[in-house]
Amino acid sequence: MQTFLIVAGIIGLVIVLMYNALISKKNQVDNIFAGVDAVLKKRYDLLPSIISSLQEYMIHEKTTLEKITQLRSQAMQSGLDNEAKMKLDNQFSQMLGGLMVSVENYPTLKANENFLHLQHTLNELEEQISAARRAYNQSVTDYHNAIEMFPTNMMASLMHLEHKMLFTIIQSERQNVDVKNLFQK
Amino acid sequence: MAKLSSLLDYYYESMYADLKVLENERLRIIAKLKKAIYVLIILGMSFCFFLIQGKFLIPLHAFLLSSMVAFLIYMFIYRHEIAGYKSLFKDNIIEKVIHFIDPSLVYDKEHSILESEYQQSGIFSQNYDKFSGSDLVSGVINGVKTRFSTLHVEEKRKDKDGKEHWYTHFQGLFFIVDFNKDFKSKTFIFPDFAERSLGVLGSWMQSLNTSKGELIKLDNSEFEKFFVVYGDDQIESRYILSHTLMEKIINFKNKNKKNLSLSFVNSKMYLCVDYNKELFEPILTKSLLKFSQIKEYFELLSMIIGIVDEFKLGDKIWSKR
Repeated sequence: MQTFLIVAGIIGLVIVLMYNALISKKNQVDNIFAGVDAVLKKRYDLLPSIISSLQEYMIHEKTTLEKITQLRSQAMQSGLDNEAKMKLDNQFSQMLGGLMVSVENYPTLKANENFLHLQHTLNELEEQISAARRAYNQSVTDYHNAIEMFPTNMMASLMHLEHKMLFTIIQSERQNVDVKNLFQK
Repeated sequence: MAKLSSLLDYYYESMYADLKVLENERLRIIAKLKKAIYVLIILGMSFCFFLIQGKFLIPLHAFLLSSMVAFLIYMFIYRHEIAGYKSLFKDNIIEKVIHFIDPSLVYDKEHSILESEYQQSGIFSQNYDKFSGSDLVSGVINGVKTRFSTLHVEEKRKDKDGKEHWYTHFQGLFFIVDFNKDFKSKTFIFPDFAERSLGVLGSWMQSLNTSKGELIKLDNSEFEKFFVVYGDDQIESRYILSHTLMEKIINFKNKNKKNLSLSFVNSKMYLCVDYNKELFEPILTKSLLKFSQIKEYFELLSMIIGIVDEFKLGDKIWSKR
């Protein structure tokens, strides 16, 4: 009887430890996503100023500017889940990157002090976003390892823990986002 | 920054005359020390003979006592002789080489990085009993405020038999520089011994150590192989440790083959490079007139002063402009 109780106690302890470890990893993902969300919001907040500076000069990119503004409005809606936010960020980043490349065709814009200031702020934000995405992806990887590896995978399936989406880190971002360089090419 | 190719010209034009004087001084000291050794051997033997003949001590004790007295007198003469030479050596070689590399830098042979700065870095949290250092270099390199010096930090420990001995916590180069990004959190980078020797178990043990914050796992496998990173903000640590900076740190480590520890605190970067020897001290047995000697000092100092360029710390982002 005593042996049974000891074994049951050990099993109980292992279950509690596995449960807590999984919950802690899940919460870590959520916490870091909150950090990602905060920097993404900063970028969305900066966007109206950038768009208004660009609108004066970039007549041919009117459609792109409109699309970006539309994406921003969608991203700013409340009630979006994490996956939707990530998908929007992905589209937004690609469009913004493309737009910044086309700034090259507007020399007067490149000389505008106000725009230069916005460009540098955006550059810094992109660095912060890149760091936040990397932190998020690492926490998701740790979480995925925990829900897939034995024996925590059994506990994870009982807890109905599911895989989470990773941010796609584009190659140019691996080399460090540097919007400044885009302008100086 | 000055190139090695132009060092030879500088060596003959601005250093050689002073080096000749210093070399004569070195030869004079060596001759004096040799003479002292001969005299002390004779005096020591006479003293030993006197102690044995007078039956004050047994022969073994008499020999040990006289040897010790002779050695202490020799050390006194050595220190007395080398003090002036050391100072001249630093003025004529170290300072000149530093100014050849970057004339704007200020060299202070007597002082070092402050104890408070050493503590602020947070890299070493152990208690210590002796803090010493010298050869402080300060200035602005590519717009970046930089300070470095040699440091030697030791703790007095007792072994099982109660014997006291000095244990070194850090000996080498301590480098402080204004970092090109603003941050509020603390990030620490240490050489990774546990994970390299114990694998997954080592990594698990590292995650249990929370004295420097959480374990930060980075997405650069080579960097992870060499270093373990702790910090109190997962995102900000990665903001500091961009892919570019991680690569620069790996390159610096591979090039110099030294143990590195870094910390990022209060928007400053602290870098410790381990050297288990004195870096800018004269070696009496080596001639000063050999260019290779000067070249060695030049290469070491260029490497240190080049850290700002190497890590691209001059490329400031908007918030630090």
